[in-house]
Amino acid sequence: MLRSRSAAVTQEVAAYCGIAIALVITLFPVYWIASNSFKYDIDIFAIPPEWYPVNPTLKHYRAAFIERPFLQYALNSLIIAVSTTAISVVLGTLAGYALARFQYPGRWRHQISFWILSTRMMPPIVTIIPLYVAFNYLNMLNTKPAVVIAYTAFNLPFATWMMKSYFQDLPVELEEAAMVDGDTRFGAFLRVALPLARPGLAATSIFCLIISWNEFLLALILTLTERSQTLPIGIAGRVTQYHTYWGEISAAGFFACIPIMIFAFIVQKHLVRGLSFGAVKG
Amino acid sequence: MASVRFNDVTKNFGNFVAVANLNLEVVDKEFLVLLGPSGCGKTTTMRMVAGLEEVSSGDLYFGNERMNDVLPKYRDVAMVFQSYALYPHLTVADNIGYPLMIRKVPAAELKRRVEEVARRVELQALLTRLPRELSGGQRQRVALARAIIRTPRVFLLDEPLSNLDAKLRVQMRAELKRLQHDLQVTTIYVTHDQIEAMTLAHRVAVMNNGVIEQLGTPKDIYNNPRTLFVAGFIGSPPMNLIPGEVQNGTFASAGGLKVNGLARANVGRAVMGVRPEDVTVLMDGSGERNLTAPVYSAELTGDSTLVSVRVGDHLLTMRTDRNFRGDFDQLIGVRIPADRVYLFDQETQKRVDF
Repeated sequence: MLRSRSAAVTQEVAAYCGIAIALVITLFPVYWIASNSFKYDIDIFAIPPEWYPVNPTLKHYRAAFIERPFLQYALNSLIIAVSTTAISVVLGTLAGYALARFQYPGRWRHQISFWILSTRMMPPIVTIIPLYVAFNYLNMLNTKPAVVIAYTAFNLPFATWMMKSYFQDLPVELEEAAMVDGDTRFGAFLRVALPLARPGLAATSIFCLIISWNEFLLALILTLTERSQTLPIGIAGRVTQYHTYWGEISAAGFFACIPIMIFAFIVQKHLVRGLSFGAVKG
Repeated sequence: MASVRFNDVTKNFGNFVAVANLNLEVVDKEFLVLLGPSGCGKTTTMRMVAGLEEVSSGDLYFGNERMNDVLPKYRDVAMVFQSYALYPHLTVADNIGYPLMIRKVPAAELKRRVEEVARRVELQALLTRLPRELSGGQRQRVALARAIIRTPRVFLLDEPLSNLDAKLRVQMRAELKRLQHDLQVTTIYVTHDQIEAMTLAHRVAVMNNGVIEQLGTPKDIYNNPRTLFVAGFIGSPPMNLIPGEVQNGTFASAGGLKVNGLARANVGRAVMGVRPEDVTVLMDGSGERNLTAPVYSAELTGDSTLVSVRVGDHLLTMRTDRNFRGDFDQLIGVRIPADRVYLFDQETQKRVDF
């Protein structure tokens, strides 16, 4: 009894140690960026390292958000990420539902969904020249809609596939029951399938939001000025020819983490259920 | 309320024919049971009535109205699914009220009718629960309540009792029968359980491989099976079916079974059918008998004993008194009355003696 009990305690301690190590590895960079954002430049490079801001300052925040247009970058990022997510999730949900529920004739049955996913099989950079030419022709370079369109093109296949798999896990009988009860197909989708796919919606939204909030490469090519540049571009812009502004980079970088953290916190209840959905049918 | 008429209805899934050239009329207010093994097309037939499957060819009518291309929403049918298909995110009250909510019934009336129907199926106390907080029997009653909250033209019940435990099933069976009698709505009921079919139906349609083998009252189906399939499917334990030959009014099989005085004199190769309760066990040496054989097995079921003997490669089962005291391998006499014998053609599987 005593022995098995002490074994259980040892096991628990080992588990917590493992978790602690994992947390240190993943959270230290975030802590370091946060800590640096409150230090003077000289302290950022202090040796031995200054583990926490001894003389805290808001200097870098002032520099980034008042002297430089980081608020504008953040606003651009927000508009672009939210628009992309909204469009991708709405279209992806409708497309995913259609793919999950309707039988396409003959050999198209499996190929349509595969074809949709196959657009993600090339590296995004391959499309950048045609996209650049197309947006240039449409006079849309350096605009937010151009970035939203490009991001949506890359998020939509994943959103479609994620939603498709959530809808496939829902028993089709529920929608059939709704239709026999007097609902239309769209009503059954809206009132029965969609509420039940909420975990999937949460998982898909946060996935799209993170991808488009963090995206760098397409934005770098498609945007030119603060009119449409996003946070990652703004941050990269502080690595200049003569000087790298680590303080401002840290301040803006830490700031950029916050919205995603808040959003993830809000949807985490759905997210956990979403990611384990289908594994355990309840 | 309406009759439901199938006019040469066929349903294909690719090359698979699920229902073939179905002709059937379910008359107004009738309780019709579609009975058959899984995969026989009975559920597909019901789903075509609900509009959940398209009719591949032929016509489906409610009354005089052709329904082939009518959306489920406009068919005005109510269905109880085998899985009950309760909306997991809605409370019991919202589940039951769903059909009325869709029809934009005013909130006060909706509430009143939900309470009324909930009282009828004894769910008043559970209206605020979610389906996952209910037992199997309670879920079944929610599904039923959702179906009867309005008066549809047709009720469709797809194996509604199959997920209940045995005791509850018998109780709900009686309640369903009463409910259909009270509501007087045309009902189509799908099951693979022949007892449910016998007890509930006005008429039974026995289906196999996508066709109706026989349509008739439970009594008719039981007393006059037209095919080998129906004979073997109905009855518990099922009818004894023993292959042999009929010459000069006498049936003879391998294993020494002989039955004289049959109505049809010369059939040739045939299958003889006789129900276990029509066979008599003779314990002593006296009396006319068709076979003398050792007891293979004897099972007391409570109200009777099922005794079986070997006839060639087949077992012949008979239902006898619960006080039967025969032991394994004890010799007994078997008496089969000629007028209780059914004869089937071995090739066509059809009845030949009627």
